[in-house]
Amino acid sequence: MFSSFRQAMAWLHTWFGLTLGFILMVVFFFGTLSVFDREIDRWSIPETRFEPQVMPSFDEMLLPILRSVEPSEEDYNTNMPLLHDLSQGPMTPRTELPADEFWAYTTHRDPVLIMGVGFRVPQPLDPEGHNHIHGNITIDPRTGKALPDDQLKIGSKFFYPMHFSLNWNWNRIGIYIVGIAAFIMMAALVSGVIIHRKRFREFFTFRPNKQTQRSVLDLHNLTGMVALPFHFFFTFTGLLIFASFFFFPVTHTQLEPLHKYHEMVEANETGLPHDRAGVPAEMASIDAMVAKAKQRWAEKDMPGEVGFLQINHLDDANSYVSIYRAGSDRVALVGEGMHFSGTTGELIREEPPRSAIAETEEFLTGLHLQHFEHWLLRWLYVFGGLVGAICIATGFIFFVEKRKRQHTLQGSSGSQVVDALAVTTVTGMLVATVSMLVANRLLSAEMVGKGYWEQVVFWGSWSVMLLHAFWRSSAVRHMRISPAWREQSILFALLAFAAVILNWITTGDHLLKTAFHYWPVAGVDLSLLVSSAIAIYAARFLKRRENVAVHKAIEFSAQKLEASRG
Amino acid sequence: MVEIVYWIAAIFATMFGMASLSLSLPNHWRQVTGIETSLPSRSEQLSLRILGYSSLVVALLLCLAADHPTMAVLVWVMLLSLAAKGIATILTWRQHWLKPLVWLFNRTELN
Repeated sequence: MFSSFRQAMAWLHTWFGLTLGFILMVVFFFGTLSVFDREIDRWSIPETRFEPQVMPSFDEMLLPILRSVEPSEEDYNTNMPLLHDLSQGPMTPRTELPADEFWAYTTHRDPVLIMGVGFRVPQPLDPEGHNHIHGNITIDPRTGKALPDDQLKIGSKFFYPMHFSLNWNWNRIGIYIVGIAAFIMMAALVSGVIIHRKRFREFFTFRPNKQTQRSVLDLHNLTGMVALPFHFFFTFTGLLIFASFFFFPVTHTQLEPLHKYHEMVEANETGLPHDRAGVPAEMASIDAMVAKAKQRWAEKDMPGEVGFLQINHLDDANSYVSIYRAGSDRVALVGEGMHFSGTTGELIREEPPRSAIAETEEFLTGLHLQHFEHWLLRWLYVFGGLVGAICIATGFIFFVEKRKRQHTLQGSSGSQVVDALAVTTVTGMLVATVSMLVANRLLSAEMVGKGYWEQVVFWGSWSVMLLHAFWRSSAVRHMRISPAWREQSILFALLAFAAVILNWITTGDHLLKTAFHYWPVAGVDLSLLVSSAIAIYAARFLKRRENVAVHKAIEFSAQKLEASRG
Repeated sequence: MVEIVYWIAAIFATMFGMASLSLSLPNHWRQVTGIETSLPSRSEQLSLRILGYSSLVVALLLCLAADHPTMAVLVWVMLLSLAAKGIATILTWRQHWLKPLVWLFNRTELN
């Protein structure tokens, strides 16, 4: 089929890159935004614009709040009928479910504290299973006041899941699609290096003044190669994070009995009870355990704050409390967990030093999940992500530029479709993203289902951009540049600017006030303004290119006409 | 705050390293000298590479001085990408910025 290995690689690179590249574009762009997901949360929920806090007193503040949390209606309605054994009697009413597990989580970038309760199903169908109905709450840790549950954390609960699941949760299909795309990304990187291996001799080359096809390929190769370590490591570690999910999804299917057995063995080895004793007991002071855990970390030469705290088997003789350290000062995601008896407050178990394999794995996943505190590295990741996005986008444009002449002569609409889809995933996605931010500032905070409508705006505006891109794409068939690129750039620039102004009007926070005082909001505003300026520049540049392309298209038609006559 | 000084120094070191490495490639050497026929001699090529790679090593040391080793390695790798992109940009629009570096190795080429 192919006369050389290189040709085979080119085929693989072109066609797999084209089909899954659109997914990769989404993954790269939203991955880039996820670097600052918490900051985007602050921007979109103005009530949470304050400095990050350490975890407040558990006994005095958090415990009473957790005791008042109710199971989520949605979770109850979906899962209770599946977990409850009807032969033992009717379902326990939602508000009467007993709490079994409490947890609280915070990071150095989260001013808010996220907490949750796992409620026990008293008569479960499978007594061995994890029979929990959940109820979550987000509070202001300074006052203990609950923050409205209805507000969508656009950064961490929409842009971030978009990065790894496309927010398509039906049977977790989004995660699988992203997994396949990531796998193809690895193949595309290797095949790309094979195709363009000669380029190492002109590693730093970019010739913007050559014809479009040439300069676009230059940029594609340049962005692919300069950030090759980033592209490779992020794709690889992304796959690694979901490895057990993608490659061996057997622990909860074929190997379920073994999985349960392993849990029992582990519980025996660690001394952390697997089941409730069924004997009610008073809980000891959690604050005292926190103090002890901090003291142990300090003794191990890694003083730190609490990041995650969980109480298991609440109010039972077998209860235990697990306390994990916030890992903001190192790459590896390690908690140095300390486990205490819930009733006596005694330290039952301290996690032993990890094996070399576990250390490596934690470093690799940690470098991707970036819980660390390092603003320079975060920005460098943004750079890497954007360079990756440029690499993918220029891949599409190269595909179109290379084939549009041929497609036009053959009367095929291939390039036209690819160009319209490229517009949708490049400028269309940007428009959808800022539209969501604009909607966030325009819709009232008290509005019921605000988060839902923000998502409607996101998907709605993206769909409109898709229609617009197809509507305007006929230019490609006539060897011209689709005006959709320029028009959507202008729309993006206007919306991004509007988002900054609306933030000022609705919250009173403008750059003069936030810069140097509250970086999360100032950073989002500045990024929007810079993006807006770049979009305007791009639109002007595209206009010039369009004019040149029109002349060329006329020449081309004249040649075609002559050829058909003669 | 002292780490910021190290990072800035590391950024310059990676840029300098990448600039030297780019000049060791005939294509880019010609771009900077502006003379179609000029080529770096073997010894010039070798010294440019030694200088280039050693600046990258210096940058790594600077990163290590600023951060925990695991973090420093990540910063260094990302700075290499940033510097490579930066030098590519300079070679596209501001080639003459690299002339002093050629001059350092070859005084006749630019006369």
